[in-house]
Amino acid sequence: MLPWRRQKKTAASSEGDLFDDEFQRKLEYLALVSRRVFAGRLRAERRTKKSGSGIEFADHREYQPGDDFRSLDWNVYQRFDRLLVRLYEEEEDLAIYLILDTSASMGERASIGAPTKLAYAKRVAAALAYVGLANLDRVTIVTTSDRVMERMPETRGKARIFKAFRFLRGLEAEGATDLGDAMKTFVAQNKRRGLAVLISDLYDPQGVERGVNVLRYAKFDTFIVHVVDPADGRPNLQGDVLVYDCETGDEREVTVTAKVLDRFAHAYAQYRGGVERFCATHQVAYVAAPIDVAFDELILRVFRRGGFLR
Amino acid sequence: MILAGLPLAELLAIFVAIGLGVGVLYVLKLRRRVVAVPFSILWARILRDKEATSLFSKLKRLLSLLLQLALLALLVLALGDPRAAASLVRGRTIVVLLDASASMQATDVAPDRLAAARDEVRKMIQGLGGSDRMLVAQMDAMVTPLGPMTGDTSALEREVAAVTATDTSADFPRALRFAADVLRDADRAEIIVVSDGALGPASDSSGAVHLGDVRVSYVRVGNGGRNVGITEFSVRRYPLDKSRYEVMLELTNPGSQPEDVELQLLGDGALVDLTKLRLQPGERLPRFYPQLSGASRTLEAKITRLDGTHDDLPADDHAYALLPERRRAKVLVVTDGNAYLEAALLLDEYLDVTQVPPAGYVAAVASHAWDAVVFDGVTPAEMPRANALYLDPRGPGSPVKVKEAIKSPGFDRLDRKHPAIRFTALDDVNIAAGHRLQPDDGDKVLGASSDGTVPILVAGTRGGYKFVALGFDVRDSDLPLRPAWPLFVIDCIDWFDDEDARYLSSFRTGEVWRIPVPGSVGQATVTLPGGAAQPVAVHEGRAVMLGERSGFYRLAYRFPDSGGPESGTTFAANLLDPAESAITPQDRLVVDGKDAGETSPFHLGVRREIWIYLLLAAALLTALEWATYHRRVTV
Repeated sequence: MLPWRRQKKTAASSEGDLFDDEFQRKLEYLALVSRRVFAGRLRAERRTKKSGSGIEFADHREYQPGDDFRSLDWNVYQRFDRLLVRLYEEEEDLAIYLILDTSASMGERASIGAPTKLAYAKRVAAALAYVGLANLDRVTIVTTSDRVMERMPETRGKARIFKAFRFLRGLEAEGATDLGDAMKTFVAQNKRRGLAVLISDLYDPQGVERGVNVLRYAKFDTFIVHVVDPADGRPNLQGDVLVYDCETGDEREVTVTAKVLDRFAHAYAQYRGGVERFCATHQVAYVAAPIDVAFDELILRVFRRGGFLR
Repeated sequence: MILAGLPLAELLAIFVAIGLGVGVLYVLKLRRRVVAVPFSILWARILRDKEATSLFSKLKRLLSLLLQLALLALLVLALGDPRAAASLVRGRTIVVLLDASASMQATDVAPDRLAAARDEVRKMIQGLGGSDRMLVAQMDAMVTPLGPMTGDTSALEREVAAVTATDTSADFPRALRFAADVLRDADRAEIIVVSDGALGPASDSSGAVHLGDVRVSYVRVGNGGRNVGITEFSVRRYPLDKSRYEVMLELTNPGSQPEDVELQLLGDGALVDLTKLRLQPGERLPRFYPQLSGASRTLEAKITRLDGTHDDLPADDHAYALLPERRRAKVLVVTDGNAYLEAALLLDEYLDVTQVPPAGYVAAVASHAWDAVVFDGVTPAEMPRANALYLDPRGPGSPVKVKEAIKSPGFDRLDRKHPAIRFTALDDVNIAAGHRLQPDDGDKVLGASSDGTVPILVAGTRGGYKFVALGFDVRDSDLPLRPAWPLFVIDCIDWFDDEDARYLSSFRTGEVWRIPVPGSVGQATVTLPGGAAQPVAVHEGRAVMLGERSGFYRLAYRFPDSGGPESGTTFAANLLDPAESAITPQDRLVVDGKDAGETSPFHLGVRREIWIYLLLAAALLTALEWATYHRRVTV
């Protein structure tokens, strides 16, 4: 890679204050909306998959010797003459991990003056963190590229959102993407299971699947926010160009024609379709986040998609 | 196949040199624009599909190089000017004599014969073989080659397009001699005469034209038409009444049908006479108009058909003439009294006569610049600085020596062509006595007695001034009683004054004109009938030019170092050629005793110059390369 091809990305600094007053007002609105949707659960009312001592009925199972008699469902016994134990979901405050991809590809601009995916991802992360903090969940933000880079320690309480802002403000895009290795590190560092929200453009040469599977195997509830720049699918290129990968430095000579652009768009669509299919088949919550969509609208999409607020 | 341009070795050297350059440029790749992309895997994916056909891609790139090398090969080969060996051997050398005489203006073929002749020559040019060479010459009163002997068809076509018809007859023998000179020792020499055949015999004062082995072809132009032409036109003033003039003209109908025409005579642009005439087939009808007056300068004759239309050759329907210019001549008469002389001088109203006795001569001659001085029985000691007529000179002041007296002399011999005695009948003049005159060298004896041995009338020049000396007193003869007397006096004064009673009312086109100009003038400008002006060379006091257009001309000049206004003279020119007025095309053309044959074949549009096709192929390849490049076929 020739030095003149490298240019330091200063996306965050050139985009002004990402978390201005307007942004914060929208966060309040989103928090209200989240409460209204899930009214009645005032604190840490997220259900875990563990059945336990909560009050929310979950299921029945056959009585086994040693079970607490108080849990027997006498109504069922009276009707069916079978001993069944009532199971309740255990209630606990949830750990939310916002995993933010800060690889170099997140800092690429489609054109001069265009927003970066990282800036958009930061605002999405901040919004989700705020909603989580407002729901008294434990929110942790980690950044990743080919490894876990930085970490905002676990915190809770709405007032700590400014800590999250400060953390997010300092992030810059650099490094290559390797979600597999990064998630292994993440899983090893975070023993407590919870909701892992991966905010990334998913440009992983090794494949997105490795990283997501690491989270799945480690019993994390995985939620993928796929940050998409529409210009990535239809790059503004023409003629003879030398394209190089901003992360790996991989170079290729291409003569760009309308036909080539069509084929590229097709390949891009295939790639995105592959990710979506993977998430659908593996029951991983997935939301595409085009950066030309307002972030608050995107957050509502996340809510509607479910999985983030339970 | 042979190379008429660069030799093969040079062509190969050029191809190798430029081909290497092309190869180097081909190998050198253009620096591509560097663009960062977020995920090159996707590019790799689509490029992988292309790599599957990499062999084909390489072939396509090779095709691009091959296209460029083929392009170069075509251009280099074009430089070699390849030609079929057969066509080179069979090349002809052709001189085309394109008739541009007056009869080629005939409109029996649209738009006129000359245009039809140009079309014929163009067809020949387009059918020239690759090694044929042609020279086109315009044939009118002169022979004008329009360019060099060449095979360049575009140059030949430009030359042919520049030919214009003139109001002259064609000098066919001269044109043939020119063509024969051009074609001397040439292979397959051929003369092609493109004409209506009104060329006259192929012989002149040098004899018949001999062409040897040169083939002569004749391309006939014209269908034949009806024409009436003015074939003679002349005007002159009466010597004794110069306010009046007479006109002679002749109309000719060379056709085979009677023609009704209207003849207009215009003086200074105003109608002087209008006559309706019928001319029988082949008739030449002279017309004479005596005692005309009213015009002071120009005369024109025009004929039109009775229905108001023009015949097929308008060029001979209009003739032009100029009347001699009149100016007053100042004449000093030194006499003791001579009623006969005074009466004779009274006849010409344009003479400004001053009569003085001999005693007043010295004062009178010094007082003015005289056009003529008449000494009647008086001879001054010195000749005046003026032209002079001496009647019975005596003494040492006489321009010729006056010898012994003679009795009863007579004009036994007369120089009738001399302007001083023109129109006079002096043969039977009775003279009582006179003196023998002894002319100097260069003097002319106009009249002599005693069987021509005793000069009694002498003309000559002394000190740049003309003189006429009459060796007897007219009162001693019956000359004053005769009509010849006033004619003689006025002729002498006219001769002194250069007023030529034989003034040429018009020139003939196609001849070299020599127009008198004052001796000190070195350069003149002539304004042609169309309005164009061109310089004219002046040689020995005459402006010399070849006239090709009928109409009025204006010759202008300035006296050197005078800084004064421009002076000049006007003259007229006419075709007046019955041969040109006979516009019926000739079917045969006989040259050197043989009929001119058909032209050797010309094939329209057949070009054997391969380099043109090579350039076309190169252009085609360039277009192909352009298309394949922009459609990304060869990149």
